[in-house]
This record gives sequence, C-alpha cells and structure tokens, in this order.
Amino acid sequence: MGQLLTPKKLLVRTAVALAVLAAVMVACSGIGPEKISFRAVFAGPGPQATGNPDYQIFVNFRLPRILLGCLVGAALACSGVVFQALLRNPLADPYILGISSGAGLGAMIAVVSGLNWTLWGRSPIAVFAFAGASATVWLVWFIGRLTGKFHVTGLLLAGVVVNAFLSAVIMFLTSIAKADQVYDTIFWLMGNMNMTEVDFLALWIGAGCAIAGIVALFYISPQLNALSLGDDDAMSMGVNIAKTRTIAFGVAAAITAIAVSFSGLIGFVGLVVPHGVRLVFGPDHRQLFPLSAIVGAIFLVVADTLARVIIAPAQLPVGVVTAIVGGPFFLVLLVKYSRKIGWLK
Amino acid sequence: MSGIVEVDNLSFGYTPENAILKDISFEVRPGTFLAIAGPNGAGKSTLLNLMCGMLTPESGTVRVEAEPIGSYSNEALAAKVAVVRQEFIPAFGFTVIEMVLMARTRYFGASGFESRADRQAANEALEATDTVQFAFRSLSSLSGGERQRVFIARALAQDTSILLLDEPTSFLDLKHQVGIYDLLKAAQLEKGKTIVAVTHDINLASQYCDEILLLGADGSYHTGKSESILSCDLIEKVFDVKVYVGKIGRENFFIPLGKFAKDGGETGKGQSLL
Repeated sequence: MGQLLTPKKLLVRTAVALAVLAAVMVACSGIGPEKISFRAVFAGPGPQATGNPDYQIFVNFRLPRILLGCLVGAALACSGVVFQALLRNPLADPYILGISSGAGLGAMIAVVSGLNWTLWGRSPIAVFAFAGASATVWLVWFIGRLTGKFHVTGLLLAGVVVNAFLSAVIMFLTSIAKADQVYDTIFWLMGNMNMTEVDFLALWIGAGCAIAGIVALFYISPQLNALSLGDDDAMSMGVNIAKTRTIAFGVAAAITAIAVSFSGLIGFVGLVVPHGVRLVFGPDHRQLFPLSAIVGAIFLVVADTLARVIIAPAQLPVGVVTAIVGGPFFLVLLVKYSRKIGWLK
Repeated sequence: MSGIVEVDNLSFGYTPENAILKDISFEVRPGTFLAIAGPNGAGKSTLLNLMCGMLTPESGTVRVEAEPIGSYSNEALAAKVAVVRQEFIPAFGFTVIEMVLMARTRYFGASGFESRADRQAANEALEATDTVQFAFRSLSSLSGGERQRVFIARALAQDTSILLLDEPTSFLDLKHQVGIYDLLKAAQLEKGKTIVAVTHDINLASQYCDEILLLGADGSYHTGKSESILSCDLIEKVFDVKVYVGKIGRENFFIPLGKFAKDGGETGKGQSLL
C-alpha cells in the first residue's frame, strides 16, 4: 500500500509546499523597481521625522500585495477544485457560473454611479463587485434548481445564460458611460492587485474567511471524492449529497466573491492550478485542497511580482501575466502527465 | 413476511398517465440470488432504483429489513444496501484502490482518512474480485470487464448484506460474463449476501439464480423459483419471441429463434443433447 495517501504523507507534502511558499514570499518581497535591503527592513520604522524608506516600502507596499496574492491565489484555486468536482467537468473554473459577469456588473455600476465612500477601507467597486458576484451565483443556483434537483447541465446552462445576459447589461452601461469610467472598469476587469487603497483590516477579514472556507472544504473532501463520481454513486455509498453540495458550492462562491472583490477578475489560476496539482498528485480532494491552495498562492505571488517589474515603473494587470504564464505552463503539464488522467481517453 | 427486501403493491410511472410498474409485490429472502429479467422497457432498472431508494414509488412500499426504505437516512441505507450500476470511467483519474476505499467513506472519522479496518476491507474486496493486481492503476486504463469487477469490489467493500446490480454483464464477452456471475455466486454462498441482479440474459439467470422475477413489457410479472419460471411458454409470452429450450445435464438453456433461423418454425422443447 505504498502509494496510498496517508495523513503523514499529506502533512509532509503540505509542509514542503508551505516552505516553498514562504521562500517565494520572501524572495518576491525583495524584488521590485525600488531596491530594498532586508537588513534595513529589520531595523524597524526608524525615527518619526525621516522614517526608514526600506521599511516603509516593505510594510506599506510589498507585504500587503504579497499577502493579497496568497489570499486570492488560494481562494481561486480551491474554488476551481470545487466547481470541477461538482460539475464533473475538468474545464470548469471559479467563474463558470456567472461570478465574473456579476462582479463585473457590480464594479461597472459602482464606477458609473460615481459613488465615493469606503467600507473597511474598501472602495465602492470592491463592495459592489462582491455583492454582484454573490447575487449572481445565488441566482444561477436558484435557476439551476428549477431545472431539476441539481441538474449539472441545467446549472451550467443557467450559468451561461446569466453570464450572457449580464454581459449585455455591462455593454449597455459601457456604451453610456464616460471614457475614463470605462477605462477604470476595464482595468479592474483585467484583474490587478493594486493595494494602495486597501486597509489591512479588510485584508485580514478576507484572509480569515478564505482560510475558514478552505478548512471547511478539506473537511468535506472525502464526500466530494464520492460526489465527483456522480450523484447516484455517492448516494448509494451513503454520502449526504445535498449537504455536501450546498457546503461546497456556498464556500466556493463566497471565497471567489471575496477574491474578486479584492483583485478583479484574475483568470487561469482557478483552472490551471487544480489541474496541475491533480496531474502530479492525483485527484484525491483531501490532498487537492491544501496543495491547490498553496500552489495557487505561490503562482499568484510570482505572477504579481512579474506584473510589478516587467514594465516598471508602470504595472501590468496581473490577469495578463497569469494567462501568459499559465497557458504554456499548463500545456507542458498536460502533455507530460496526460496518461495519468482518465478524461483524455 | 420473511423477506430481507419486501416489495408491496408497488406502482411507478415517469409520467402520471403511463405507469410502467403496476401493483408489483414480491419478497427477496435473505441469502438468495434473485434475477430481475424481462424485455427492454419492462421497468427492470426502474424497479432496481425503487429498491435502492433512488426513486420514490407512486404507491406501495419497499421495505428493507422490515423498515420502509423512506425511513432510512442515506447513510443508514448505505450500511444495508450496496448498488452496482453499469461501469463507467470517472471524470477524474482515481486509482482502483482509491475507488474501492470510497465505499468506506461513511466510516471515516473526523480525520477524513481510512482506518486499518477500512484498508483491510478494501483489500479483501480486491482479492474476492481478483483485482489486486490493478490496485494502483487508474480506472481508465482497465478494460470494461475489469472495471466492472472493480465496481463490484467497491460494493463488497461497502460491507452490506444486500447487493443490487443493474445489468452487470451487458457489455462483456462470454468469459467475463461467467466470471462476474461466478464471483457474485461466491459472495452469496460464502458471505451469505442477498443478491438482486437485473439482466437480459435468461441463460445466466437460469444457471446462477435461485429465483426469477420476470417482468413483462405490459406490466405483468411472474415470480418464483428459476426452474418453474423459466419455461418455454412464459419466455415466449414475456419476450415475444420464439425460443428453443434445450437441456445439458441439469442446465436448461434458451435460444431465441428469429424469422430467418434455419429451423425458425420449430419452437418448444428440444431433445436433450446428452
């Protein structure tokens, strides 16, 4: 039984992955248009009047962005795992059920209406995007249930239709909006992790929710294993499918909405990371959740670092980098390990 | 009543006008092997789905160990009844052993991992179905017959007294058909399992099963010992085809005779070939 996943094996792999993540975080926090030295950072904030520029850059700019990268990467990757399992479709990603267009519409409304206030340091765009994403997922879920008791096809079609409809509304708003408002929205839609406005309080709340969600997903992962075979099979093996599905769907939708509200629509993380982890380590969800969360965090921190430095001092939207880096990387994995997975045959 | 599964006046239809099962009553005694046979569209699989709680009857009841099936939670029912559906390739590349261990999900503790007892149960199921050599291979790399054995292994690992199977041999060649029925019969005789299998194949049913439930497409049904149910007259009536009935030693066999059969006109009992 050498190849079976054991708790010990899982702990070792998780610990190794966490160590890699820590190393990546340290390395990436040192990279940027401004050179900073860690020795100077450790010296502390320095005297009130002059300050310590290295420390200021590290604490106010680099660190929040890297923490945000971890939060968003982990949330999107785990959410991708859930949607692929629930829909039994390896092409599913966190945005498949309309979250993207819902969040986009929310952001568009916030921009067009010109609101100007903050909630926990977050701008109206973030708040509206979160509300739009949550409302859309709920709507798709509701419509999906009308088509049958959680019909996978019905749910997918409901997602497609709602996506198309909301995209039309977004296009309508775009056509009546002012040029600078359109630019703001498009930049937001491409996904970026500009943290200047973010209050640490919002980041901690978001991170707390995401970690709680990922722990909850790990807790139902044996049931998700069975559910990924099909409802009938899971049911006859004694899995409470309604409960498992509701928890998985609710958590995945919530952490995706949180991630989207911080960073806009960052594509590819939720598709590539679960696939990559599954191709290398197998489809067992008990392992898929912790490893996808960590690998997602690593992936997004690295991608965001590239986005910060490639055309420095200007910045690329990180969504551009994830797609450009993620695409070829995924193809290499696909070719190398395709024999391990069944759906290619 | 002495049945481990009792079906009482069961009716069911997918649309209100067309009931496909009408007032069916029978019981499955503990430790017997029952075949549900009949032509396409007679409702065999529907009946099986009613017997494992996947479908809810329009009227009538299904009782498992004297309790109505609706009174069981999903988890409690999974402790009594295991179901083998037609084999398929899962969307994700689980290995054989991972698949078989999933049958033990309800025993996993808070850690979410299988215990030594779970691994042992899975191993025994792999041995019983002769699939140990595939344990770490992906299900997609197996042939249909091998995969069907893995699904049966999973049902055995679930450690239930009742095993329901939906056409376990439909796409298999002769050797693998017999192989599947051999291992089911062994589970019945050695472990005392109660087995209900839906099948088209009346020859295998007559060879392996103690009892037959013959469902007609018109809603009629006949139930009893295999020897008495599987007669030339009844088979011709239920399947609406001419058959030749032969005998080799103590085994009866049935051959359908089509329009262009070389002796198409001759039906009824043939003489013993031995």
